[in-house]
Amino acid sequence: MTTAEVALAPPAAKATDSLSPRDRRLGKLMLAPALSYIILLVALPFLLALFLSLTNSSAGSLDFSFVGLQNFKSVATSAVFLRALRNTFIFTFVSQLLVIFLGNILARALLKEFRGKFLVRFLILMPWAAPISLATLGWLWIFDSTFSVINWMLKVTGWLGPGQWYYWLGDTTLGMVAIITVHVWRLLPFSTVILLAGLSSIPAEVHEAADIDGAGPLAKAFQITLPMMMPILTVAVLFGAVFTFTDMNVVYLLTRGGPYNSTHVLASLAYQEGVLGGDVGRGAAVAIFLVPLLVVMAVMMLRVSRRAEVT
Amino acid sequence: MQTRRQFIMKGGKLVAAGVAVSAAGPIIFARGAGAADKTLKILQWSHFVPSYDKWFDPFAKEWGAKRGLEVTVDHVGFADVVPRATAEVAAQSGHDIHMFIGLASAFEEHVIDLKDVVGTLEKKYGKQVDLALRSTYNPFTKKQFAVSDMWVPDPGNYHKKIWTDIGQPNGPATYDDLVKAAPEIKKKYPQMQIPIGIGLSQDIDSNMAVRNMLWCHGGSIQDKDANVVLNSPETLAALEYAKRLYSVGMTQAVLSWNAASNNQAFNAQETSYILNSISAYRTAQANNLPVLEHYFFVPALKGPTGIMLASEHVMSGYVVWKFSKSQETAKEFLVALIDASRESMLGSQLYNFPSFYGAAADPGTPMNKKIESGGAWIAKQCNNDPFGSKPADKLALLAKSQPWSTNLGYPGFANPAEGEIFDTYVITDMFAKAATGALSPKDSMTEASNRAKEIFNKWRKKGMVPGGSKDR
Repeated sequence: MTTAEVALAPPAAKATDSLSPRDRRLGKLMLAPALSYIILLVALPFLLALFLSLTNSSAGSLDFSFVGLQNFKSVATSAVFLRALRNTFIFTFVSQLLVIFLGNILARALLKEFRGKFLVRFLILMPWAAPISLATLGWLWIFDSTFSVINWMLKVTGWLGPGQWYYWLGDTTLGMVAIITVHVWRLLPFSTVILLAGLSSIPAEVHEAADIDGAGPLAKAFQITLPMMMPILTVAVLFGAVFTFTDMNVVYLLTRGGPYNSTHVLASLAYQEGVLGGDVGRGAAVAIFLVPLLVVMAVMMLRVSRRAEVT
Repeated sequence: MQTRRQFIMKGGKLVAAGVAVSAAGPIIFARGAGAADKTLKILQWSHFVPSYDKWFDPFAKEWGAKRGLEVTVDHVGFADVVPRATAEVAAQSGHDIHMFIGLASAFEEHVIDLKDVVGTLEKKYGKQVDLALRSTYNPFTKKQFAVSDMWVPDPGNYHKKIWTDIGQPNGPATYDDLVKAAPEIKKKYPQMQIPIGIGLSQDIDSNMAVRNMLWCHGGSIQDKDANVVLNSPETLAALEYAKRLYSVGMTQAVLSWNAASNNQAFNAQETSYILNSISAYRTAQANNLPVLEHYFFVPALKGPTGIMLASEHVMSGYVVWKFSKSQETAKEFLVALIDASRESMLGSQLYNFPSFYGAAADPGTPMNKKIESGGAWIAKQCNNDPFGSKPADKLALLAKSQPWSTNLGYPGFANPAEGEIFDTYVITDMFAKAATGALSPKDSMTEASNRAKEIFNKWRKKGMVPGGSKDR
């Protein structure tokens, strides 16, 4: 549907007015499972976390008392928390940048016709389908500080000289590099598929018309492809960013936040403090720090997805 | 584990029971309580020596079958023991018995007092080993919150050929030996990645190793009365030692190790000394690895203070949840498990050491000789390993490991604050930061001490930890 058609379409409210009472009941019934799911598994746990962050609740107890903002004050002055906050932003920003960049290259490659395209598509989707715990175990060996296959290859090719070694998971910077690498590997298929759908939806006539008008590759990329891809690109970025902000699996399985709590993101730190350490109130406070940012992202996501729907 | 069919059947029965309850009222409740007592659900870790699980599961089921009970045993990885307990407490349902491999003290409020079980066992077998008592009893609340059936010694594992080549065929005896040996090992074995393999990472083995270092330098987190005394010249000495050792004998690899890494490094002959139980050795045996003939053990190392201590490697702590409907059955099972201490030790290939030595005594031994007799039986196994050690007395030193083994929380009792410090890696991070120079030893100690005091104060407010008047 084009923008002009959307403008001519009757307002949505009027469309619902025309529904019969039976259809309305059916509509509510159809929505009920999704709404129940959101209320029970998203809204209630969120409200519970908000509530717990204001208490001294611990894992081994059901009793607690209100401590106001004490947990927030305590974590905000903790060096580990500040490091985790910084890591969360680095983790999200760098991995999303790489995912979109590499996803774009892959999507463009997959637009072309070539032999074995089906197999390539299948292989690209594999990381998305593989259980993260299993996949990370493989990566754990790849980045192992003693037996890293990357290091052995670099040694064989002469990149690493005698006594040189990369301690992927034992170094604060390399640890983050490893975490981002695995996360990019994991998100790339999803991003590629979304971008591929976006690229496929651009009518060939538009590019043909631009060719006739003498537009070069750069002009076509920035004046046709990018503007037309923008809504779907934004959805991919926002979805990936929210997913990355709230993810703890890769960090926890690869480094467990180490060395010395230097590679934690907020989600993994919240798990360590709240579940492993048993300080549920403090863990909830760490987790809740993400909420304002996620709310802004969610609003943006909804607005963009609505725009993407009608253009 | 349940099959999907069993799950659906049980779910169906549950729904049917719910409907029936609403119709029949209190009569059904009484029947329900009786039915619950016919089952026993046990949450158990996946043992580091897999043969133990093969012994434990049939043992539990057979014990139940003899009494007309259905016993279910579920295994989880060691890292999931605490999260699983947290979830079950929050849900107020789950297993009847939960096995902890570290400290169960944080869950004290939700478990029943097992004083009567320990009383029964002491009448049968005499006192339990001191470190087991100190890990399962809270003297402040006077509650026996868990019962320990076993503990695991944590000796040093050394590569005999390498240490012989540098003139110490019997391996290291002091912490100073490690610092002196590391450059020698580097010289003789330049290809070896990590001459001394003591973990400084966020994992269970490192957590114990750094405590050993701390204690042997005279430091500790708390004193015997649960005052936080981490901020001390002794702690500083331990951190400065760690810095020296790291610079001469370790690499960043030890900052990333998980529970299996030191085993793997030793078995691949990439390190000459690790602190571990015998599970790594049993793996080397099972796979007939080249390291096997050089695989030997030493007791805990002596520090400059003359203190020679190592943390237990695993301390079992079985709790019975208050929400369990089979509490009496659970207590009976725990007594039966400790009755089978010999089988348990053999099932684990000498990994498990009985917490009640008397339970390993020869049948018919008089009460006052039971602990001695049990100790003799344990020594007999270690002196002539039935699981094929060459030489057969390779594990002999384990029989004498009790004097140099201690509990988490030394020199005091284990408590929830010590547990939280353990589980959030406050001490490993302190050592890692000081060793690598990320912080100076003094700053690292101050940071850890402040966090430790914060954690202790929180638990003191909850009335579960004493002390505080002499915090440093």
